[in-house]
Amino acid sequence: MGNSISKTLGKLFGSREMKILMLGLDNAGKTTILYKLKLNKIKTSTPTVGFNVETVSYKNVKFNMWDVGGQERLRPLWRHYFPATTALIFVIDSSDTERLNEAKEELYSIISEKEMENVVLLVWANKQDLKNAMKPQEVSDFLQLSDNLKNQLWCVIGSNALSGQGLLEGLSWISNNTSKK
Amino acid sequence: MQKEQSRVSYGGNKNGGLEKPPNFGPRNIPRSPSVPSLYAEKSFNTLNMSDQMLNRPMYEDQTKLIPGSKTRLEPDFNPSPIQRSPSTIGGNSNLSVIDMYGDDTESQMASDESDDSQPTDSNTPTNGISNNNNNNNNNSCVENNKVNMLDDKNIPKLMHRLSLSDNNKYKTTHDNDDDDEEYQTQPIPKSPRVNISSKDAENFDRYGFKKQTSYITEQEYDIWWREYYSYCNRRKNKWIQLMEKYDLSANDESIRRFPPKSEKLKRYVRKGIPAEWRGNAWWYFANGQQLLDENPSTYPQLLLKIDHINTLPDKETRYPDLEIIERDLNRTFPDNIHFQKESYQNTEPEMIKSLRRVLVAFSLYNTKIGYCQSMNFLAGLLLLFLDEEKSFWMLVLLTSKYLPGVHNVNLEGVNIDQGVLMLCVQEYLPEIWEYVVPSQKSTNNKSNLNKLMNSGFNPNHTNNKDSKNEFLFKLPPVTLCTASWFMSCFVGVLPIEVTLRIWDCLFYEGSHFLFKVSLGILKLSEGELLKGKHHNSLTHYSLNGNQNKNKPNNAEENEIELFQIVQSFPKKLLNPNDIFEKIIFKKRITFNNLDQDEIDRCRKYVTDQRQKHLPLTDNKKSSSHTNINDNLNSEGSLLSETGDTGFKALNIQKARTMKQNHKSDEQLSETQSEGYGFKRSITSVNWNSGLKERVRQIRGKKD
Repeated sequence: MGNSISKTLGKLFGSREMKILMLGLDNAGKTTILYKLKLNKIKTSTPTVGFNVETVSYKNVKFNMWDVGGQERLRPLWRHYFPATTALIFVIDSSDTERLNEAKEELYSIISEKEMENVVLLVWANKQDLKNAMKPQEVSDFLQLSDNLKNQLWCVIGSNALSGQGLLEGLSWISNNTSKK
Repeated sequence: MQKEQSRVSYGGNKNGGLEKPPNFGPRNIPRSPSVPSLYAEKSFNTLNMSDQMLNRPMYEDQTKLIPGSKTRLEPDFNPSPIQRSPSTIGGNSNLSVIDMYGDDTESQMASDESDDSQPTDSNTPTNGISNNNNNNNNNSCVENNKVNMLDDKNIPKLMHRLSLSDNNKYKTTHDNDDDDEEYQTQPIPKSPRVNISSKDAENFDRYGFKKQTSYITEQEYDIWWREYYSYCNRRKNKWIQLMEKYDLSANDESIRRFPPKSEKLKRYVRKGIPAEWRGNAWWYFANGQQLLDENPSTYPQLLLKIDHINTLPDKETRYPDLEIIERDLNRTFPDNIHFQKESYQNTEPEMIKSLRRVLVAFSLYNTKIGYCQSMNFLAGLLLLFLDEEKSFWMLVLLTSKYLPGVHNVNLEGVNIDQGVLMLCVQEYLPEIWEYVVPSQKSTNNKSNLNKLMNSGFNPNHTNNKDSKNEFLFKLPPVTLCTASWFMSCFVGVLPIEVTLRIWDCLFYEGSHFLFKVSLGILKLSEGELLKGKHHNSLTHYSLNGNQNKNKPNNAEENEIELFQIVQSFPKKLLNPNDIFEKIIFKKRITFNNLDQDEIDRCRKYVTDQRQKHLPLTDNKKSSSHTNINDNLNSEGSLLSETGDTGFKALNIQKARTMKQNHKSDEQLSETQSEGYGFKRSITSVNWNSGLKERVRQIRGKKD
């Protein structure tokens, strides 16, 4: 009841809600990002078996963020269930250059799913705090998104889950580019 | 040009990566703020390295380890009660620094004959160190305790206790309806006479886990622990008496034998095995020794193989699991002291080395499974209580006997168990069922619509009969959450003391206990779950993701709510007795009637259903067949209530009959496709009574 009132009010004042799926290879930092956004705390890094879902409110927008465990062989568990997603966030460990290619393949295989054809894509080039991390521009070039994504809006933003750098920027970008349904 | 740029940086880093094997550890240290200045005092890191090397070799020195010979492994194999592992050794040396419980308590034990008698007013420490001092009275045996502690090889590291400076008594308000235990005033445990910074010690529990989590504050933990600590003491006393009744030495910390299975012992196990006996008790009840005796050289040989693999230049391409394991090693229990890198010297903790060996050995041993995330948690927890080799075999047992197929590459075991869980929810928790899964009544139109829209899906089985069971092959979204409960056996899902109590019962009673606990958690969260029920109509879900535009926002919101509750509720369940006393010990809760046989049948049924409906999935039965001994296939057999010492023969025989039963079930399965017939149906809400009767008849004939 209260919920629907606040919802109506939210509509009046232009608040929105959106579902966001956050994917990426294991150990990319998805869960750390989620809890940095949610609690402004650093959770010690631990593999996510299954998923975490949290709502994050920012600038009148309620983001329902789904952080799904990264290990490849666990993907079939949720593969068949893409929640109605407005945006896809793909998190990349910018310091793990050896697996960048793997990340790229994974990204393309997800984005080519039918359910993903209308989503906006945000790539967080994470772990920018590490010395050997690739710059967002380098990651972006490597992913070749401009060549391959014709219909989708996309954006690569450097992030550091520990300091929170780039996170709100990313959410702003999503909210600016998805509104006006 | 841009490509050029990225290639450059790619290549450059690649070289760096080749120099040393991928190790993501160093990064974790600055990232983890969990242990500020912990080691500064040098209080926990008094691992006796030489001691450790002796016992759990790192196997650089291969010449001395001849496969099959037990020269170096002997300390672990021989029946000597001394059992060592990184954790226990660490515990040992830690204990010499951390004075444990100063008081002794045994004076009243003799009078305490039965489980139901009064607790002593003592506070036998949970590590049981004072057991050797039966005749000492309070306060007079501090020195003795200290001495005994040094001999105690089996105490999980860091069994420190709550630091409370006085001896105040407080009243426990422990209500217990299942037995007549009375709870008197209990003295608060006295402060440990420690020369460590008590501040550091207080941040961690007795297994070295950080007390504080995202859901529980340290203060909450301490308040709860004060009470639970004396509960543990009381239970320990009872256990000692029980052991003495069976002439099993309870003085020795490294108890290797336990009383024969009985209702009483089951109750004792459910009330918690004393922490320092846990490893051995699990090992005993899971019958690990049998496996080890049959394969004495397997683990040493696997270790040799690992050494060999480590010399291969292309090991990472030939053994891709190595790299995946490596990535998870330092992310396993980062909040536990034993798994944390000592920040001032960049050495890898022994525990991480053991974990690596166990996981890699397992991935070589069972290539069908290899390494699957969540096994790191299973092995990690085992290593806190058992030595490396035993942990390895327990992992084998967990992944084959208790969680068949769950960790297999195709994950079919997960899906089967989730299907079984959903069957159970439907049967025993109809209220929640209505909430998590579309009810036939309210969403009929919707699901028909979906069916029309997805007419490509499963064209052969669109008749009404099958739609009843649709949830078995189109698992409801809530199983995304509950799947991880099973995969990691609740490690990381529930607070540690609860998890351990569940593991006690898991190894004693069998895997059906996991289902009971899952139902228990859902039951406990019912209030929270159904609070959102007025939003109703959450219940539309489509597994094909095509609900995007059609789905009411409301439902979406409820779905998020549901997930958040299911995800976070268990993490707040600090007190094991919340679930044990409110659920497991309550006879009127119907799902407590679930037994192993029932779950085995459910598993069989779901397996058949899924195979029928998912011709595309791997048809090989991943659920019940494993590469270890045949007689392990059927879990119920090994864990039969009847078993005592005649165990092995009896069980093999039983396993055979079980198999035959399964065969006859197979013949029946054709007729059973409409629904699963639980043996004890109380609610009968979702029950097709005609079918029920038929199943009864069939079963009657069989018997």
